[in-house]
Amino acid sequence: MPAVQETVEQVREIDVDKYKYGFETDIETVKAPKGLNEDIVRFISEKKSEPEWMLEWRLGAFKRWLTMDEPKWSRVHYPKIDFQDLYYYAAPKSTEGPKSLDEVDPELLETYAKLGIPLKEQEILAGVRKQGEPSHLDEEAGIAGGEYGSGKVAIDAVFDSVSVVTTFKEELAKAGVIFCSISEAVREHPELVKKYLGSVVPTSDNFYATLNSAVFSDGSFVYVPEGVRCPMELSTYFRINEKDTGQFERTLIIADKGSYVSYLEGCTAPMRDENQLHAAVVELIALDDAEIKYSTVQNWYPGDKEGKGGVYNFVTKRGDCRGKNSKISWTQVETGSAITWKYPSCILRGDNSVGEFYSIAISNGYQQVDSGTKMIHLGKNTTSRIISKGIAAGHSDNTYRGLVSAHRKATGARNFTACDSLLIGDKCGAHTIPYIEAKNSSAMFEHEATTSKISEDQLFYCQARGMNEEEAVALIVNGFVRDVIQKLPMEFMAETQRLIGISLEGSVG
Amino acid sequence: MATEVLKTKAEQELAQQFETGMPNLPGSDVGWTKAMREAAWQTYAAAGLPHRRVEEWKYTDLRALLKDAYPPAPALGEALTAENIDAALGEHVAALDCHRIVIVNGHFREELSDLDGIGGQVEVRSLSEALSDPSDWLQNTLGQVAPQDGDVIASLNAALMTGGVIVRVAAEAKLEKPLHLIHVAAVKDAAGLATRNIVDVGADAAVTLLESYTGHGAIPVQRNAVTELVAGDKADVHHIKLQNDNAHTAHLSTWMTRLGTRASYRAFQFSTGADVARNQIFVQFAGEGGLSHVSGAVLSRGKQHDDTTMVIDHAVPECESREFFKLVLDDDARGIVQCKVNVQRDAQKSDGHQIAHGLMLSETAEFDSKPELEIFADDVVCGHGSTSGQVDEDLLFYLRARGIPEPQARALLIEAFIGEALEKIERDDVREAFSALTSSWLKGE
Repeated sequence: MPAVQETVEQVREIDVDKYKYGFETDIETVKAPKGLNEDIVRFISEKKSEPEWMLEWRLGAFKRWLTMDEPKWSRVHYPKIDFQDLYYYAAPKSTEGPKSLDEVDPELLETYAKLGIPLKEQEILAGVRKQGEPSHLDEEAGIAGGEYGSGKVAIDAVFDSVSVVTTFKEELAKAGVIFCSISEAVREHPELVKKYLGSVVPTSDNFYATLNSAVFSDGSFVYVPEGVRCPMELSTYFRINEKDTGQFERTLIIADKGSYVSYLEGCTAPMRDENQLHAAVVELIALDDAEIKYSTVQNWYPGDKEGKGGVYNFVTKRGDCRGKNSKISWTQVETGSAITWKYPSCILRGDNSVGEFYSIAISNGYQQVDSGTKMIHLGKNTTSRIISKGIAAGHSDNTYRGLVSAHRKATGARNFTACDSLLIGDKCGAHTIPYIEAKNSSAMFEHEATTSKISEDQLFYCQARGMNEEEAVALIVNGFVRDVIQKLPMEFMAETQRLIGISLEGSVG
Repeated sequence: MATEVLKTKAEQELAQQFETGMPNLPGSDVGWTKAMREAAWQTYAAAGLPHRRVEEWKYTDLRALLKDAYPPAPALGEALTAENIDAALGEHVAALDCHRIVIVNGHFREELSDLDGIGGQVEVRSLSEALSDPSDWLQNTLGQVAPQDGDVIASLNAALMTGGVIVRVAAEAKLEKPLHLIHVAAVKDAAGLATRNIVDVGADAAVTLLESYTGHGAIPVQRNAVTELVAGDKADVHHIKLQNDNAHTAHLSTWMTRLGTRASYRAFQFSTGADVARNQIFVQFAGEGGLSHVSGAVLSRGKQHDDTTMVIDHAVPECESREFFKLVLDDDARGIVQCKVNVQRDAQKSDGHQIAHGLMLSETAEFDSKPELEIFADDVVCGHGSTSGQVDEDLLFYLRARGIPEPQARALLIEAFIGEALEKIERDDVREAFSALTSSWLKGE
């Protein structure tokens, strides 16, 4: 198995510095004053040159947020967040106003290069190759760089509070696909934004979603028109760079009737002693016969060995299978963040709609993960599938929390859930808290879960064949999570396997 | 915010009961029992009746389910005869050959009980008497098996309890016949009952403890029953409950069990009668190598609400726990199984597994399940499973193809489904009695 070999090598290569994205880019930024009040909301809206209705929407959310309390039910512990001690807006100075790719600040390009964004995109970002030109990589691979050359990924790069650049826009436009930053969408496609924004995660949804609705600064917007299969993978790369900033991005993806889109999301942040807040909202809408595949590789800075610093990742992600025969599939690999708190969910509203959730959550050091999903069966003959693999090492706590519910009228609902946890070391914890609510007799729900440690026999077997303990653990863990990794787009599979090696480094012995 | 939460009518009535009834409760004139009751009341009062915003009570909202708190049942209930007791139990359970301990409205009724031939092995005493003249043993024992995080309903019970029995099984005693604790509610008007049993099983003893909760007549009853059980080292305890209260009963029951080193605890609950039932089971391993197998069967129809909530606490290494529940839900019935298996930091080599299956016979039945694992030790094997569905159409077709009419075929499949749970009862006589109860239930009796 070459992929596994790669992981083993990766584990070997890793030096003391575990988190390789922990550098900081020194770049001039424009910031809003610290703190949060109505003026900040107005400031952000103004910076984005937003229309009046958008500002009203934000202010409505902000007013509601003031009346809300932080939720306390999750299995995570952290000092109280001072919401007045944060910057709610930070943008690289050079990105103000429209610009061509060539004008992108070299510092930024270097940042993305260091982050290892797939080569072809770096070419685009760096202006080596014009958009739409065939890539030498395609040629090398013997693929004609045709109109929809293979393996192309369009990227929306979000740096702190703003989208720096979106690649392949024109090529996507040819297919009718709109892929741009959400601020641009608010200006250019208000009818779509008005219709769908907040229709899956309403402004009143929860504390962090409401906060996000008030102050979201950027994010991606995707609209795939009727009957179109999006010609390439879409991707957003999130980077927190500035100190004391919160990142609040908003993603809205609409797949119109009969369309298909695959979207990837990656995230990193510099190493800092303070905790940083990331509270995003992602809304997916799939109309009749449409399919959305949403993959995340979350690698925010997890804090250091003593649990100092790291990102608080409090995210609301929800997909609405609004149309008949629609499908939404979430795949997530969670290795970063000091605290992860997110439940990508599916509302299976349309008849025969399908929801899927594949997750690998790895925690090490003092990380805390409370993640899972909700599958809400409303339509007839809806099916959902949940595969969750949690791996806890070090002093971390890893919780799976999930809800599967069938509404009274959801006849023929089907669910299969498997959530497995693996414990490495005796200082960590793994918890499973599933809620299963069947309000319809024809609903067929199956749930199974196991928790175990790495089998001594398997370890011994590998070590007897000359592997050291760390390599053996990486191998076994990769086997444990294989079901999920296989669901990831090709581009992410290799990276994920590397990440697994990195996250578990230092967990044995 | 320091705003006081509005009390519901039932909460106000309970407060009134405690205030006016306290002087008459057994042991209220004795220092420590009085203090114990007051402390328990404070614990309860701080939280009030549990409601859906309390995680453990998410599916059973007592604020909504209990509109009123009925006045305490009169100390001496109806004059009952042995025939009345048999009738309340039903023919199958009444026929079981047991040592009977009859408790009417919380009061131990020696004349209705049958304790022949257990002298020297088992000591049975009325709790209300013991509370009025409390011993050091009682002081050290009462409330010591409370669950880790406390429990509001058990606290309410401690504040208001009027009786029950103390059962002490001597070390090394081996009892052939089950001890049958028969709790009968016999009231003229709607009444509340707070009873508590304290069971102390000595080391190496072997005993089957059967608890039946039933009613004489059909007057509404609110029952809050607690059984504290301590199993000594290497004790072998079979603990079985039959909840067959009348259809106007709110049945709140809490078992709090603590197991000594290498003790074996096999528990079974058969829950069917009451309108609202909340069956709580808290098992705590206090010594290494313990074993706890808790299983149960639930039969609900109409608008019945049946909630089984368990917390299995692996506090020490090398213990084994199993939970196995089967529910049959018809009409608008709602069945709930919540089980939390908690493996503490040093409880290595813990082995836990839980399963709940819900079978829904009608469109409008509801099954909620929350199989929870909380694990802090790495060398453990834990798993859980839960399924819900309806009668398998293929199996039904198979039986009908062999000439069995549909109603019978359906009943056969349901009996087989419940049968799997009943198999966990090791005593043939009890299993057969419960099996007969299942058949009667299916016939609508």
